[in-house]
Amino acid sequence: MDQKKAGSRITIFFCQRIDVDQDVNRRPLEKELGPRIRFFPVPCSGRIEPLHLLRALEAGADKVYVVTCPEGACRYREGNIRAKKRLAYAQGLIEEIGLAKGRLELIRVPAGTQTTIVELARKLLAQEAIVGPMPPDEPGQQKQRRQI
Amino acid sequence: MITAERKPLAEIKELIAPYRKVLVVGCGSCVAECAAGGEKEVGLLASALRMDARRAGRDLEIKELTLDRQCVYEFIDQLTEFIDQYEAVLSLGCGAGVQAVAEVFPKAIVLPALNTTFVGETKEAGLWIERCRGCGDCKLGFFAAVCPITNCAKGLFNGPCGGSQEGRCEVDPDTPCAWQLIITRLEESGRLDCLEKIYPPADWSRQQGRGPRRIIREDQKL
Repeated sequence: MDQKKAGSRITIFFCQRIDVDQDVNRRPLEKELGPRIRFFPVPCSGRIEPLHLLRALEAGADKVYVVTCPEGACRYREGNIRAKKRLAYAQGLIEEIGLAKGRLELIRVPAGTQTTIVELARKLLAQEAIVGPMPPDEPGQQKQRRQI
Repeated sequence: MITAERKPLAEIKELIAPYRKVLVVGCGSCVAECAAGGEKEVGLLASALRMDARRAGRDLEIKELTLDRQCVYEFIDQLTEFIDQYEAVLSLGCGAGVQAVAEVFPKAIVLPALNTTFVGETKEAGLWIERCRGCGDCKLGFFAAVCPITNCAKGLFNGPCGGSQEGRCEVDPDTPCAWQLIITRLEESGRLDCLEKIYPPADWSRQQGRGPRRIIREDQKL
């Protein structure tokens, strides 16, 4: 893995149905990679909102993946369709601030595939980086603060 | 409900460029319904602005807050305890909300993040359609609850123009012909006699030409 990829931080939102044992399966990888990887299991990819994706980028992810069930196989019929539309909306928003839309990517698990979220995560980490790391804070720049 | 759309980010960035501490205030009413200015949209906009500032090497501190309604003093008052700590307020309210906040806090710099568009309905998830122009002289009772001012591209009061094709407006084929709808509904409810009356042009002096309109109800005053 080259230097550019070595430090890449990725966030993966995924439908829990893709890997029913995800709660156990992902722990070793989380321990291995530490803050470089964050998993967010959701009951359906349709639960994901553009706000989640932007907050993930803001929290330091270089790339955010949304992993959905195969087309036509969503347990809630159209959750994965909604996820695609919302990701597209978020891509439009980040393009307005000069970020490449490739920082947000939808992964649709092919029909009939048996995989674990860890196997999928390793494949994604091993892929050629198509976007560089998010720019770090400039020296002396006051850290952005979010207040609610 | 009042509908609005977020301004392009480039425009919003230009508005807040001189300021380092910005209060981003949403509204939980109409603009939340049309997914333009509610709590989620406040979060989205604030996140995007913070990331943009970080990339540009600018300091930017944002506080996010959403009021139930941005056009009512009792809700706007919630800003009192901390508004002075911020250099500007970026309001995701409609035009009424932006101005209401500015009236309550005349020293604050209040900037609009939305373009207020029309009074409309949620036709379906993700689709809002204009339905009312606020003419102040509602004649919906005569037109089977189809407003000819809003729904007819030509604003005709006395029957169809004759240009519709297959029930679609000749000006905008995506729009059903309002008069087709009016006549069909009047016919189905046995009220075609409504069409026998000649309706004069709308009295637009009720809507415009006199500055801001008012409604005063003494029985509602405290």
